[in-house]
Order: sequence, then C-alpha cells, then structure tokens
Amino acid sequence: MGTLMRIVMLTLISAGILLAGDVTGKVSFAGTAPQMPRLRMDADRFCRAAHKTPVLSEEVVVNKNGTLKNVLVYIKGPVSGKYSAPNEKALFDQEGCVYIPHVLGVQTGQQVEIRNSDNTLHNVHTLSEKNPPFNAGQPIKGHKLTRRFEKVETFRVKCDVHSWMGAYIGVFDHPFFAVTDDNGAFTLKNVPAGEYTVEVWHEKYGTKTMKVSVPATGKATADFKYPN
Amino acid sequence: MLEQRAQIPVEQRSYATFYVAFSTLLFLGTVWAVWDEVKIRRPWKEYQEAYYRTLYARLDSLKQAELNDIDSADVADLQRTVREAQDALQAHEYREAVGRKNALLKDLDVATREWRFARSRSDAAYYQYQKASLKGADVSDLRREVDRHDADIALYARQMEELNARISGLDSVINRYVDALQKAHADARALYARASSYDLKLQKAQEAPLEIGQVMLPDFEYTPFSEVKARIDRCQTCHLGWAEDTMADAPQPFTKHPLPELLTVHNPESFGCTPCHRGQGPALTKGYAHGDEDHYWETPILKGVEIYATCNSCHLEESVLKHAKPFTKAKQLVLESGCFGCHEIKGYSDAPKIGPSLNALTGKTNPEWIYRWLRNPREYNPHTRMPNFGFPDEEAEAITAYLVSIGKQSNYTPVAVQGSYRGGSPQRGRELFESVGCQACHVVGQNTVVRDERGTSYDIAPELTRVGSKVNPDWLFDWVRDPRHFNPTTRMPSLRLTEDEARHLAAYLMSLKDQRALPSVSLEVENAMKIRRGDALIRGYGCAGCHEIKGMEREGKVSVNLSDFGRKKVEQMDFGNIHELPRNSEIDFQQNADGTIAVKHTWSGWVYGKLKNARLYATERIVQKMPVFSFNDEEIKLIRSFLVSMTRDVPLAPHQRLYTKHVKDLEAGRKLSVHYNCIQCHDVEERGGFVRVLYEDPGLGPPPLPETQGAKVQEQWLYAFLKNPTTIRPWLKLRMPTFQFSEDEIGVIQKYFLAMSKQDFELREYAATRVDAKYIAPGRKLFELYQCAKCHPTGSADLSELSASDLAPDLGLAYKRLKPEWIVDWIIDPQKLQPGTRMPTFFYEGEAPDQETLGGDVREQAKALSTHIWNLGRRKQQ
Repeated sequence: MGTLMRIVMLTLISAGILLAGDVTGKVSFAGTAPQMPRLRMDADRFCRAAHKTPVLSEEVVVNKNGTLKNVLVYIKGPVSGKYSAPNEKALFDQEGCVYIPHVLGVQTGQQVEIRNSDNTLHNVHTLSEKNPPFNAGQPIKGHKLTRRFEKVETFRVKCDVHSWMGAYIGVFDHPFFAVTDDNGAFTLKNVPAGEYTVEVWHEKYGTKTMKVSVPATGKATADFKYPN
Repeated sequence: MLEQRAQIPVEQRSYATFYVAFSTLLFLGTVWAVWDEVKIRRPWKEYQEAYYRTLYARLDSLKQAELNDIDSADVADLQRTVREAQDALQAHEYREAVGRKNALLKDLDVATREWRFARSRSDAAYYQYQKASLKGADVSDLRREVDRHDADIALYARQMEELNARISGLDSVINRYVDALQKAHADARALYARASSYDLKLQKAQEAPLEIGQVMLPDFEYTPFSEVKARIDRCQTCHLGWAEDTMADAPQPFTKHPLPELLTVHNPESFGCTPCHRGQGPALTKGYAHGDEDHYWETPILKGVEIYATCNSCHLEESVLKHAKPFTKAKQLVLESGCFGCHEIKGYSDAPKIGPSLNALTGKTNPEWIYRWLRNPREYNPHTRMPNFGFPDEEAEAITAYLVSIGKQSNYTPVAVQGSYRGGSPQRGRELFESVGCQACHVVGQNTVVRDERGTSYDIAPELTRVGSKVNPDWLFDWVRDPRHFNPTTRMPSLRLTEDEARHLAAYLMSLKDQRALPSVSLEVENAMKIRRGDALIRGYGCAGCHEIKGMEREGKVSVNLSDFGRKKVEQMDFGNIHELPRNSEIDFQQNADGTIAVKHTWSGWVYGKLKNARLYATERIVQKMPVFSFNDEEIKLIRSFLVSMTRDVPLAPHQRLYTKHVKDLEAGRKLSVHYNCIQCHDVEERGGFVRVLYEDPGLGPPPLPETQGAKVQEQWLYAFLKNPTTIRPWLKLRMPTFQFSEDEIGVIQKYFLAMSKQDFELREYAATRVDAKYIAPGRKLFELYQCAKCHPTGSADLSELSASDLAPDLGLAYKRLKPEWIVDWIIDPQKLQPGTRMPTFFYEGEAPDQETLGGDVREQAKALSTHIWNLGRRKQQ
C-alpha cells in the first residue's frame, strides 16, 4: 500500500511540474546612474588593506547594459502548494569587509550559512521585525554559523563594527524568487500555471508590481523599469 | 344549559366535564411551570450546550489535523512492522519454546509443592525431636528423620533451580518475539500520541454537566453600612472558555481571556470577575449580569479603555501598570495636566506643582508678553500645557499687574553683564541645539518628530519657535548656562554648556522671533487698584495650584474633591443649556453643523463635554471657572477612564495589593523619572525613549534603562555619575544633563534601579573584588582573539584611527562602573539584557568560536574575559 501511495504522489508531483512555466524578465534602469560614494574603510586597517581599488557603495548598482543589479524579484501573495525548504544552504559571506551577496533571497526554514572570510571581527546584526533579531560576533576567520528564518520578511543586516557594511535578506515561503544579476535578468523557475502578481524590490527605489499570467507550458515575461 | 342542569337533582349532577377541563388546565400549567423553570428562565444552559459543542468541534478538528499530519508512509511502515511481529509469533521456534516453557512450569509447580511439603515435614519432625530432647529421651531416630527431610528439601530446591534456569533460557527466546511486538505497539502509540492527547479533553467536553459556575469571595468588601459583604460571581457559567487555548478566537461569551499572564495574579477561580470588570455577579442573564440593561444597577460592566479603571481599587499608588498600558497613560495624563492643582485626587496628594514659579517673571520677559499669554496661551504656543482661562482684557491686565509687582520684589539679576549673549553665533547655536539634547524636550518650528513620537496633544517643555520675542537675552544666556540660578527648583537641567556655548545658543534662540504682527497693548501695571484686583483673581482662579506665586503659599485647592467622582449621579450633574443626545446614541458629544453642541445626558456624556470644553455648561447665571484644556479625543477618553476609577469601592485587606518595599521603591523612582522627564530619552519600564526616533539606528541613541540596570552599575559609580555625568558613549553627541539631584533624589534613583532588578542596596567594596588567577591568561588570549578592542577603547589604545561612531564604552572604566557578575551575563548574551544593542554575542547558540580555551565553555570564557576587562582599569590605576 505504501508503495502504491508513493507512486501516486510521484505522479502527482511530476504532473505538477508539467503544468508549470518560468517567469523571466529583466529590470532596466532609465536615466543616468547615480554616482555612488566610495566606502571609507579607514576605521579598520584590515579592511583598508583588503582592497587595492576603491570600493563603491552597492546601494544602486547599474550594470553596463543599463540594467539594475540587486533587485529582489518574487511572486507576491499566496502560491498554491506546499514548498519545503531546499536542502542546500544559502551562503551569506563577509569578505573584504562587504557582504556577499549584497541582496540574498532565502526560503522559510532554509539554512543560511553566515561566514566570515575576513581576518577581522565582524558582527551580523539583523534588523528584522517578524523574525527574532539577532546580533552575533564572528571574530575568527572562517567562522561559520547557521540560521533559519521562519517568517516572510525582507530586512536589513548590518555590521556594527564597520558602519559601511549593510545587506538585505528576503525570506519567502515559496521558491519563486530571484535577485537580478550582472545582466539585470532574472528567472523564476517552475511556477505553477496561474495568475500572479510579481513584485520587485530595491533598497533605494522601493517596490513595483506587475500582473503575470503563467501558462501551463512555456514562459511568461515580466520586464520592470526603475527608478520611475 | 345551566337552567336545565339546575333541574337535575344535586345527587345526579355530573361534574366530569369540569373535572376534565380543570385538570387539563392544571396539567398544562404544571408542564408550563416546569418548562419555564428548567428552560426559559435558564438561558445559560443553551450557552453551555453551545460552548461544549463548539469546544468539541474545535478539539476534534485539531485532532483530525494531527491525524492528517501523520505521514501515511510511516503508518504503512508501522502496520507492516506490527503485522510482521504478530506473524513471527507463529514461528516454530517461538511456539516450541512456549510449549516447552509451559511443560517446565508444570514441573516447577510440582517441585515447588514437594519442596513446601518437605519443609513442613521437616518442621514437624524437628518439633518432635526438640520435644523429646527436652524430656531427656533418646532422640537419635528423630534426629535422623529430621535430616532425611532436610535432604528432601535440598533435593527439591535443586530441582527448582534447574527448572528456573531452563525456563529463563526459554524466556530469552520468547522475549525476543514479545519485545518486538511490544516495541511496535509503543511506536504506534508514539505516532498517534499528539492526536490522542486530545482524547481526554474531548471526553470531558462531551460529558460535561450543565451547571452554574460560581466563585464566592466571603469577605470581599464593606456595604455602605460598614458590614462585611461577600461577592458572588457566576460569570463563568456562560464565559466558560476564559482559560481554554482553543477558544482564543471564539465569539463571546466563549472567548479566551486576552491577558492570561494577568490572570496568574488575578485568578478568576479565586478572585472572580466583577472585581475587575464590574457588572452584577450573581445574575444569570446577559442584560442583568452585565448590568448595562438593568437601569438600577449602579456598577455596569466596564467597556473600552474604561475596562482598566478598576485597577485603581488596589493599584492606586502605582503609576505604571504593566498590563494596563492605557491606564498607565491615563495616570500620566492626569499628572502632567496638573488636575490635582485644583482638585483633590486620591494618589496625587504629594505631586509637585506642574507650572513654573512666577515670582521673578520681570527678569525673564515683559508685561506685554505676560498679558498676551494670559489672554490666550495657545496664541504664543499651540502645544502648551497651560489651559485657557479666557480672561477678559481687564482681568488679564490685573493679573499681569500683580505678577509684575511681585517680579519687581524678587532679587534675581542675570549673572552676566548686559549684552552677554552678543557675539554668539546663531549658526553654531543651532548646531548645539540640535546635537546636545535641547530638542529632546523643546520643539522649534517644523521639527516635531519627538513630539509626534510622544503622542500627546501637549508638549512637556515649551516650544521655542517664537522664544526670541518672549524672553530677555541676558536672562536667556544665564538660564541656558545654569537654569537653577534663576529658579532653584526648576526641572530644566544643565547641559554643562561653556560660556561660549551658552552665548551661541542664546544667540540662536534670540533669532527665533514671532513673525506675526501683533497689535500693541498699553498696560497699567503700576496701578495699585489693579494689583489688588489681580491678587483676588489669582486666588479665585487658583493659579497657585500649578505655580509658585509669592503671597499665595497657603492657598488651598479651589475646586471639588474628585475622590468619589466616579459614583456621582447624573441627577447631580448640571448640563446647562446643552442639548441632549438620544440615550442610545453611540457618541457622547456632537458638534452640530449650526455650531450648537449636544451631549448625552449621562455621566459619560457630561464628563466628555466638560473635558472637551470646560465652560460648556456655563449659562448666563452659572459662571464656571475651570479653564479650557485642549485634550484630543483619545486623551479625553483616557482621563474619563481615570475618573471612572475615582470611587471608594475598595476590596478588603485579603484581596488588596501588598505594597512591599520594592514596590514602594519602584513607585518613588517612577515619580522622579516622570518629574525630571528621564523617560523622554531613556526607555524605562517600557515607557519613553521618545528621543530615539531622531536616530536612524536606535542603538546609537541614548541607552534604555532596562530592568537589569540595577544589577549593572555599581552604586557608588551611579551616585557619582548622577552628581556629575561623564562621557561613557563617545559616539553620543547628546549629553546626559546634570540635574543637580539632591542626595535624597539620588537615593530614590538608586533604589529604583535596584528594585527593577529585584536587588537590595548593599555596600560593596568593588575595588576589592577578588580575581581568580586561573582566568588571567585565558582572558588575555580571548580578549585578543575575539578582538574586543576593535570597538572598545581600553584606556590606552591609540584611537586616532577610529571614527567616533565606531566606538563603544571604554573598558578601562568598567572596573569602576560595572558590577562584575553583570559583565559575565552581558558578555554571554547582550541582546537578552538590552534588545537592539550594537554589542554582538560571541557565543551564538551557546557555542564559543574558540573551542580550545577553557574547554570551549561559554560561562568560563565569559568569566575569563570579564577578569581581563576588570584588570584593564585596575592595572592602569596602579
């Protein structure tokens, strides 16, 4: 009986995959890119020495092709079905006294490995409201800690030792989210067919939404434009 | 028909018809009486039935959810395991073992019986043998017989032993099978454990009897004739779900109580419901029980924010009530509005006057300003706490004349020479104003974020947008430099400004002029008649209730005592010419389109109207003196809830609050912290910290004073700090002001912090704290490894590289400032002691980054670090 049920479930799951499409798109940036200030890392000798070239703030990163990097793209509102957290950990690194990545999307319950790759003291201080905030020091190079976030929320993370360090973590209860890359592009994979609201979030320019219809097979496109 | 009947002889008349008719009536009457008694007059039974139905359904759905949560694959696996274990019992090995065991058990029974018989026979023989030997007879035969029986005993004992050994050999085989089955059953129970945890509750819900729930408090209160009276509450007859988690979102009357934490002290099972909620406890129908449909019930159930009013029956002397935040706010409103200046109010008899001293006004401002202020304070300052008395021109002039006359008698002169503020830079003054802390209390112009955060309709300190048109510059320079020079009892603290800083600040404030064109006034302030008239007016209006005024030191309170106001009858209230709102109206107060006002002619309606406009009920013949306040709707309702609490209904001693030493210390501290407005900057007992809104990162603002504050700092250090604050957080431009506290006041603050931490004052020689040598070396190592000095100066490190915002308190001061055991707790988990602090924990989830030093033990490492920190300052000192 157990075997039979498993077969039925597998069939259902594979059918679900068949009835799903991808949402792709890009986030373009209109106008001239604002000049980002240089991060002054004088407060820590290690940080200053870690970079030969000037490091700019990542608040607004406009790619060479005129698109916007570090935009969080996700399906807003409920998505039918239950999505358990993936087994692979999400990596949140501190290297050269900046956070890598600057914007991170994770699923509820997913393990996030927070790593210090620097030979200096960092602390990870989350300014979350729905998830319990925490503030952990990582004094030793290679130190790792693991954290799970259980509530849907996008919040800021900062380092109190190095005032310039800041990043954002978005937590979602489904796997349909992405962060735009060096080409400003994103793909939300295997979204079950249906009508959705896709939302984009940028730390400076805020949110935008768009209605998207995901076909049973094939792709849906959603292109966004910032700042207006 | 009756005539016909009359002709029938009496003996022959039939009464059957009457009998049937009347007995039918009697029968129906009885049925109705029983039905009325059992059903109609007991509506609570329906509530109880509905409650248990709802409870059963909810519990059942929770159980079903648990059942659904069980993985069907697990169930199948388990079923297979059970089946296999059961099937295994059919195995040849098991059955043979059981068969052989049964045969052996029979043999064992026989052997045991024989062994017992042998023992009995041996005992009997031994008796004969003893008896004979005591008589001196020949006993050798008898002795042999005893020995023979003893040999039998040993034989059977051996047999039993052998049999037992063989049986236990078989048992190990049998148990292998039985254990497997038992384990499978236990696993099944475990799998269903969460679901079956509901079974008992379900059974209870199903079998619950319908009965009246009653709590009786035999010695609760006094009747108006001073006799002890019991309180009987039957509220829980219908409100059955007050402690039931599953009923948290159920509709009334089944809802779970929203404050379970509060009920741990005020347990409804022993304290009832009406002591807090009011209403008519013994009644069993809704309208009567709540008392709101019973016109003659004097204490109907409390609703809205008024629900907290009864807290005052026992907590009158406490100004912070953790579970009654709106009432805490109401008490603060009454305190800050100075209601007790004119009215006698329980609990406020020792509250200090809220207004400034008016004895030296001529040194500070000019008669025209005083006059304008008296005419309408809000014209100059729209957020002042001073209410509007609506003085006519003549009265305002007379009061001005009196105040000017006493001002001239004062011996105050600004300390500095004329023009001392000159040469100050308004620009630098503005920078100072915005950084050192002035704007924590004072608003200038459009920067109202702190006021908005505070959320009251009034400011706690005067707005300074037009101050340049009010005050005289020499006074201002003197005032900001040392406020107590002008007024030795002022709440305005010193910010330790240098003369130059005071000059800049005065220059900036003097540049803030009133831009409006105000008509000039000509006043006769020297006129002796007017001065005398002013004297009488000030006495009549009771100005001395809020202000210190020379010549008025002995004035009493000019208005009515409010201590039993909550019980005042509506018949005793005068509504003047104000229209009446219908009784069933949802609002108490209405301003009609034509400008007329209508209020509900109830206690609540009268109070609302009075607080909205104190002169509302004045008529041509009835003059009213109470000034007009500008409370907003929320504030009016809060103050009204406070007035609801003003009754003499107080529970007797067994149900009263115990005012322990700690509670008294807390209360004294709260009063002081509100008086000096400490809570404007510091978050104390979940109140205040409003100034932190000015900081993007609240961690960079003034520190909250959490419950652990008393456990944190050394008493001697706190004393010295409050006397003369020193810099602890170099990143804060905001200065902790010098309040020039008296010794008594410092004692109050020290005890307040200690009471919050549940500690007692003790004299400790912190400098003599012993250091355990075993922690010295590991402490130094960990201090380096965890890079504490990255943020904390240690009294010696070169800080020139660090920017100010990157600094943390100097650890070189720790040994003089902090309690050693607190340092350990702090290092282990700073967020626990002060949520939101910038100090991270180095022991995330109880794990030390360095697993080697001191075996990686978190507490040991924290102790080592605290030892090192302790030594940092001590070494420097030596």
